[in-house]
Amino acid sequence: MNILTIPMRNIRRKPSKTLLLLLVFSLGVMSIVALYEVSQVVGHSLEKKLTAFGANIIISPVSEKLSVSYGGLHMGDMLFDVHDLPEEETVAAIRSIALNDRLSAVAPNLVTMTRVNDTAVALVGVRWKDERGIKSYWAPKGTFPEKPDEVLVGSKAATKLQLKAGDRLSLLGRDFTVSGTLYDTGSDDDTVIFMNLSSLQELQGKPGATSFIEVAALCAGCPIEDIVAQLQEKLPGVEVKALQHVINQRMASIHFVQNLALTISVVILVTAAAMVGLSMMSAVSERKKDIGILRSLGYGKPQVFIIFCLEAGLIGMLSGVVGYLGGFGASFQVLEFLHMAEGGTPIFSSTHLLMAAGLFSLVTVLAAVYPAWKGAGVEPSAALVAL
Amino acid sequence: MLSAQNISKNFITDNKVVPVLKNVSVDIHDGEFVSIVGRSGSGKTTLLNVLSTLVRPDGGELHYGTENLSALSEKRLNRLRQSDFSVIFQFHHLLPYLTVLENTLLPFMQSVRPVKKAAMEKALGCLERVGLADKADRLPGNLSGGEQQRVAIARALVKSSKVLFADEPTGSLDKGTGEKIMGLLSELNNDGLAVVMVTHDPVYAKMAGRSVHIEDGVIV
Repeated sequence: MNILTIPMRNIRRKPSKTLLLLLVFSLGVMSIVALYEVSQVVGHSLEKKLTAFGANIIISPVSEKLSVSYGGLHMGDMLFDVHDLPEEETVAAIRSIALNDRLSAVAPNLVTMTRVNDTAVALVGVRWKDERGIKSYWAPKGTFPEKPDEVLVGSKAATKLQLKAGDRLSLLGRDFTVSGTLYDTGSDDDTVIFMNLSSLQELQGKPGATSFIEVAALCAGCPIEDIVAQLQEKLPGVEVKALQHVINQRMASIHFVQNLALTISVVILVTAAAMVGLSMMSAVSERKKDIGILRSLGYGKPQVFIIFCLEAGLIGMLSGVVGYLGGFGASFQVLEFLHMAEGGTPIFSSTHLLMAAGLFSLVTVLAAVYPAWKGAGVEPSAALVAL
Repeated sequence: MLSAQNISKNFITDNKVVPVLKNVSVDIHDGEFVSIVGRSGSGKTTLLNVLSTLVRPDGGELHYGTENLSALSEKRLNRLRQSDFSVIFQFHHLLPYLTVLENTLLPFMQSVRPVKKAAMEKALGCLERVGLADKADRLPGNLSGGEQQRVAIARALVKSSKVLFADEPTGSLDKGTGEKIMGLLSELNNDGLAVVMVTHDPVYAKMAGRSVHIEDGVIV
C-alpha cells in the first residue's frame, strides 16, 4: 500500500468508464502502431522496388583527368592512369562490408569501343542476372541473351546499325547474334551494345577485369554516407561515388510514405491525448470531495497532482501495451488488405512494446498535467464546499 | 494548546462580503472536550474549519503551542494535519474505492514507500478499538452510516493526533448509533485526546466538558 494504491483502486471503481477510456486510447495507439508497422513494410518494399530502377553507388578506378589545349585548339579531356578493377576481389570486398544486408545488387561492367559497319559503338560487358537486378525496367524486342554469343542492343544503336532480333554481327572479330533490342530507356543504355562480361573480357584479353561496378543500396535503414564510408574502407585507392540525385529521389518517395504515416499518427495521438485530458478534467471536478478528504489528512498539492498524473499514466501504460499488441496484429491484416503482405512482415519487438508503454504513459501524463494541476490547486476550503 | 484570537472570516456571496466570524476568540486546552453549538448559519462549522487549519482566517491569529499557525506555510500546515490534527465530517467521508483498512491507513500512503508493518498493525488495532477489525477488507459502501463514521474515527486515531475536530459527527446517524459514536469520542477524550465538536444536539453538547455558543459569527 502506497500512493499508487489510490489511483489504481480508483481506476477499478468505475470499470465501464475506465474500459471506455482504455478502449478509445488503445484504439488510438493501435492505429499508430499499425500505421508505423505498415509504413515500415511499405517503405522497405517501395525502396526495394525503386532500387530496381538503377544503381545509386558507382565504384570505379581512380584516374586523373586533364583538359588538353595546344595552340588555341581544345583537344578535349584525357584520362591518365586508367586501371581496370579486378572483378572477383572487388565484388567480394563490396559484399564484405558491415552493411552488406543493405546492398540489393552489385553489377560489374567492362566498357570498350569498337566499330560495326564503320560506325563507332560502345560495348558493355555485363553479368546478366546482376544487371537485370538493377535495371528491371529493361524491356527487349526479342529476348534477353542466354548464351555467351548473344548480345542485347540499345534502341538508338539498333536504329543506327539497322539491327533487330535474330541478326548477326561481328564484334571484335567474333560473330554474335542479336537476341533482342531494348525499347527506349531514355538513358545511356540506348546507345550501347550489351554482351556477356566473360565474353568481352576474353575478347579484350582482360580476364577478370571490370571498368566500374554499379551498386544498388537500400538507404532507408541507414544513411548512404555510412555505406560509402564502409566501401571506401574496404576498397582503398578506388573511387566510390554516391549518386545523390538518385538517392534523394528514392528517399523522397519513401519519406513521403513515412511522413504521411507520422502526420496521421500525430493527429490520432493528439486527439486521444485530448480525450484523456478532458476525461481527467471531469474527474477532477467529480472528485473534489476526494481532494478535500486528502487535503484534510495533510496531503499536499504535489501529492494530489501525482495521484491524478499516476492515474492517467496507468491508463496510458495499459493502452500502450494493449494498443501495441493490437496494432501489431492489425498490421498483418492491413498489409493483407493492401495486397502488400509479400513486401515483408512486421517483426515483433519487446523493446518496441516497452517503448510504446512508456511513450503513451508519458503522453497521457502530459495530457493530464493541466487537470492535475487544477485539482492540486483546489484549496481545502473550496473542496470542503463539496463535502 | 490551541488559541484563536480575534478571528474574522468573510465569504463573498453575490458580490457581497458576508462576515461569518467576527473577532472570535477561543482557547482549547490539552485533553479538553469542547462543543461548538449554535443555529444553522451561525458560523460554527467555519470556526471549526479555521481551528483545524482547513480554512485560513481573514484576520486574527491562531496559535498552536508556541507556533503561530496564521503565519505558517502551506507545507507546514500540511505536516500539522498529517500529525497533530484530525478531522471527521458529518458524512464520514471515506474514499469509496479503498477498503476500510486502506481508508484507515490513508495518512500513511502519501509517498511511494509502502506503508510500514507497524502502521498496518496500528491501523488494525484502531479498527479493533472502534469494533470494525472484522470488516477491514470491506468497501465503505458495504458499511452502515455508523460504521463508516467509526472508520473515520479510526483514521483519526491511527495518526496519534492531539486534537480531533468533529463536524456534526452524529448528524446523519440514528439515535442509537449517534450515542455509540459519542460514547467512543468520550472514551478517546478520557484517554487524553482533545475533541472539538460542532453539534446541533444539546444532549451531545452537554457530554462535552465545555460548550462554546456562537450566534451570527460572535461567541456569546
